[in-house]
Amino acid sequence: MQKKTKLQSNGSVLVVGGGLGGIRAALDLAEARKDVILVDKAPCIGGLMTQLDRTFPTNNCDLCTVAPFTAKDSRGGHLDMRGLTTVTAVKGKEGNFTVSLMTAPRFVNVEKCTACGECQRKYPECVSFAPGLDPRAPTCMRYPKATPYAYVIDMAKCADKEGLKQCCPVGAIETDALPKVEEAQCGSIILAAGAALFDPSHLDYFGYAAQPDVVTSLEYERILSASGPTGGKLLRPSNGQPPKKVAWIQCVGSRGLQKGAGAYCSSACCMFALKEAMVTRERFDSEIETTIFYMDMRAFGKDYEKYLNRAKEQYGVRLVHSRPHDVLRPVGMDKLQILYTVDEAPKHITEEFDMVVLSTGFKMNEDVKKLAEDLAVELYADGFPKTDCFNAVATSVPGVYVCGTLQGGKDIPETMTQASAASCLAGAKVAVTPRPKAELPAVTPECAGSPRVGVLVTLCDHESTALDTTALVEYAKSIPHVVCAAAFEAACDPSSFDAVKAAILANGVNRVVVAGSSPRYELEKYQAMLAPVGINKYLIEVANIREQAAWVHAGEPAAANAKAKQLVAMAVAGVMAAKPLADHVVPANKNALVVGGGVTGMTAALELAGQGAKVCLVEKTAELGGVARNLVKTIEGGDVQALIADLVEKTTSHPNIKVFTATEIVDHSGQVGLFRTGLSVNGAYKEIEHGATILATGATPNQPQAFLLGENSRVCTQLDLQKVVNEQPKEVKKWKNVVMIQCVGSRDADNPNCSRLCCQSSIKNALAILKENPNARIFVLYRDLRTYGRFEEYYQKARELGVIFVRYSVDNPPKVEAAGHYANVTFTDVIMGRQVVVSADCVGLSTGFVASRKSNEALAKVFGLPLTDDGYFAEMHVKLRPVDMDKAGFFVAGCAHSPKVIAENLTQARAAASRAMTVLANDTLVQEAKFAHVDRARCAACLVCVRACPFDVPQITVDDKGLGRSYIDPVKCHGCGTCAAECPAKAIQLNQFEDVQILSSLDQLLAKVNA
Amino acid sequence: MEQFEPVIVAFCCHYCAYTAADTAGSQRLSYPVGVKIVRVPCTGKVDAKHLLTAFEKGADGVLVAGCLVGDCHFKDGNVKAARRVEFTKKYLEEIGIEAERLEMVRMSAGMGREFAETATAITEKIRALGPSPVKGKNCCCGKAA
Repeated sequence: MQKKTKLQSNGSVLVVGGGLGGIRAALDLAEARKDVILVDKAPCIGGLMTQLDRTFPTNNCDLCTVAPFTAKDSRGGHLDMRGLTTVTAVKGKEGNFTVSLMTAPRFVNVEKCTACGECQRKYPECVSFAPGLDPRAPTCMRYPKATPYAYVIDMAKCADKEGLKQCCPVGAIETDALPKVEEAQCGSIILAAGAALFDPSHLDYFGYAAQPDVVTSLEYERILSASGPTGGKLLRPSNGQPPKKVAWIQCVGSRGLQKGAGAYCSSACCMFALKEAMVTRERFDSEIETTIFYMDMRAFGKDYEKYLNRAKEQYGVRLVHSRPHDVLRPVGMDKLQILYTVDEAPKHITEEFDMVVLSTGFKMNEDVKKLAEDLAVELYADGFPKTDCFNAVATSVPGVYVCGTLQGGKDIPETMTQASAASCLAGAKVAVTPRPKAELPAVTPECAGSPRVGVLVTLCDHESTALDTTALVEYAKSIPHVVCAAAFEAACDPSSFDAVKAAILANGVNRVVVAGSSPRYELEKYQAMLAPVGINKYLIEVANIREQAAWVHAGEPAAANAKAKQLVAMAVAGVMAAKPLADHVVPANKNALVVGGGVTGMTAALELAGQGAKVCLVEKTAELGGVARNLVKTIEGGDVQALIADLVEKTTSHPNIKVFTATEIVDHSGQVGLFRTGLSVNGAYKEIEHGATILATGATPNQPQAFLLGENSRVCTQLDLQKVVNEQPKEVKKWKNVVMIQCVGSRDADNPNCSRLCCQSSIKNALAILKENPNARIFVLYRDLRTYGRFEEYYQKARELGVIFVRYSVDNPPKVEAAGHYANVTFTDVIMGRQVVVSADCVGLSTGFVASRKSNEALAKVFGLPLTDDGYFAEMHVKLRPVDMDKAGFFVAGCAHSPKVIAENLTQARAAASRAMTVLANDTLVQEAKFAHVDRARCAACLVCVRACPFDVPQITVDDKGLGRSYIDPVKCHGCGTCAAECPAKAIQLNQFEDVQILSSLDQLLAKVNA
Repeated sequence: MEQFEPVIVAFCCHYCAYTAADTAGSQRLSYPVGVKIVRVPCTGKVDAKHLLTAFEKGADGVLVAGCLVGDCHFKDGNVKAARRVEFTKKYLEEIGIEAERLEMVRMSAGMGREFAETATAITEKIRALGPSPVKGKNCCCGKAA
């Protein structure tokens, strides 16, 4: 009875899973002009992230910065998105898979459904919904404005089909709908279907099943969420009262601690708990006591250590190093008791809390496991797929790639990076699909017409608790020339843009004000979304009511509301004065520049070259290979020297790659698609042209002056230690005692962040030493052991083999003294409560990495790029755009972004290549109309502009009347506006920022002062 | 008496100070509500005419916020802006407006805390100076919108 059709989409990529990773992978491919089919078994896209209240480290949601781009008309028709769809069978192999897709009926006609909620009111049991806690509240869509915006019926639960059908006022319920079965051809497959979360119901000692006030971290997130069961109020499930004390228990279902737990670390839960504790105090009540019981605080990501410090210092989150063994509620008490011990005092402590949050880790999703098995992908015993030690997104089956939490527990930035890397590899196997080039909309005087302004207020409820959006909309309607104004709360939802477009057409709107977050996020998005309904992109103005009102004045709602109104009035004034402008299309350069010839740079260059781009690979030193040349093996046993040799051979022999060693970057100009960069090749100047740039300049192994490093021959870094173990095994066999000290020169005042890779590298070296010399006694002195992910299993192995791990506190660091032939290390063993002195044959210091500050600063200056406080390159969005940079056409990968292990560097290299291909796939590029223009009638050829321009663009040219006048070449102009500001005759105006626009906004800003 | 709430126009460069103000927002760092931001592509675009118009229309203070020295996206727009601000200050003195009401500050995109602190410090300074003399005695000076 099933309908069976065949999709005509040879040479496409199938992406399974419509969470953030799947969306990113699909968008990368579509932007690189490759066909993608994106399927998700849920009725709407967004995955796990849509159930989170906020995400770290920005503490906001930001889904709307990605999701809208999945809209049908936004990616040139390359993206085919299907909800409620599962893969039922796969045949064939790389390059030629045949997949069977089954789309379950939602029993609701999406075209007709208005999401009025009538079906849910009359037949609540039939309407599907499944997030944490009370599934019925407050709407039955997975998140407030799900994509597509319509209900889903669970027909199995329906006893009265006819009644259900009749209750819908628009006749959208189709009780007889059938599943649809299709077959599709695809060249490669990306599995991005996420992971499940550990269910702690069987762990009776945590009381999760019995106690309503014991919740999982995701359930707690739902309680915090404005779209959650309590409408965004933090209340105890047991009695509906606000809690005064909340505790988090870490590592539930991770690190092999409980029955059914994975042996791995889930990697994201520490940050997750910190975020929930901070949000609890910030948003609800700063009097609520928040305590996190943890084993190791694993804040290993970029700038995460600073987040941890903020949680402790700014928010007063209490951290207790302990594994509680019981959560109880004695009869007659309404509070929970946590029973635990601490290192310093060997006694039981009982402490009362109102709520306990279990930080549950990730585990393999059974459905996904089955699909992986069908594909014959090799899996670990815990169900997660095995991946190559130098390629974390490639499975054992060629053509099948994985990313995100499906590959192993991780946070969002790592998911986004892996997603782009997977799309790089999957996309390499399928051809670019030519599409007729969309014409740029013509700019006619009519597009400006007589001004009819539409105002869209796009803040979500939870972002705008201080703002009254209804009042703001009413106010906007009262502004002259505003013909329509509406609150638009589903900015994360591509399909909801249809309603916006309809309103714009219905009201004949020709200018739009978006009142939402910063124009840095909103402008490009709305320019793209509103172009199809004929809104000129320069007739859109953004009122930044989130960053400049809702967030900074959250404590003074009256002032915040007044300011928001004023910002909207200013934006309306600005857009009224704006002129429609035309972009122009110029041929794009399809070559790439990769800066840095380490393993990251070489990998990025090879991926780009493999997809047909011509690449210039520039290396500062005389040799390729970078810091990895000092490494022998990865912890998994991967041969780093063989990797380098292979990469060097492929890079130097690839016809599309030109390698320049002993070369520095000296100057740079142009814009995305049309860059020019000057190189100094062995001292000789050479200029190259390129369309995109990848920075892979690495970082510098730290050499801090600490613990006699450089003074005592027994003291060395982990890098040196690894060399000794590899090259002098006879020496290692003589060692009796080895001491390793972690966090040397990291997590301190000079270098506040964690270097991420040192914990695993000390364990790697410890295991290598024990292999040569099983009798060696090895001590690892650490602050928090950050063996995230599968590194945890090596930590466990090291403990089993007798490596002694001793925690030290930052106030009481170990001491190293020369003692004749040995180095004496003195430290305090907290558990024994006494000092220990070890005469060490070798002291290995985990010195980590620091940013190559000097060279990064020089490069940042030449390219005009931002750095972080620590001197690493800053990405565009720490959460959702981890390899893109603020300057269009620039991407960052590897240790230049932040320290990480080789496999992660290579993943980022592939991700950067994937992002760069979204630029390089285009034959032409659209040049924005941001240039200055001269009113030649007013120009007196005084030469002020010629002298003022930082780029020597203005020239005095002679017109047909023989008069010399200034001329500014639109293609060369950078759009800074200095000439316009200096011109004494005001003959020069800068597009988008004309004096009349600025002065109109100023008028509005100051209107009420004079009223 | 109600406290005088100065109105301050902050011309912010898109690449640094405007982003710093966004950072202040995302870190929920508060600053006085009278500080209103006008986004410009570079402080080099800020005309003496814009500064004077702001005072003419009743601003109590004006801030020009650009990139750190050497970090200008357009080489030296911030240096040219500083020169223009100095010139405008002299002019303000000549027409009887305290030069301190106009100030140039520099910061990078990540300096959200500095933005909030600067905005607060300048508001306090202007509060101490009192309402702009341009507003005259009979208008509703002292009350922000």
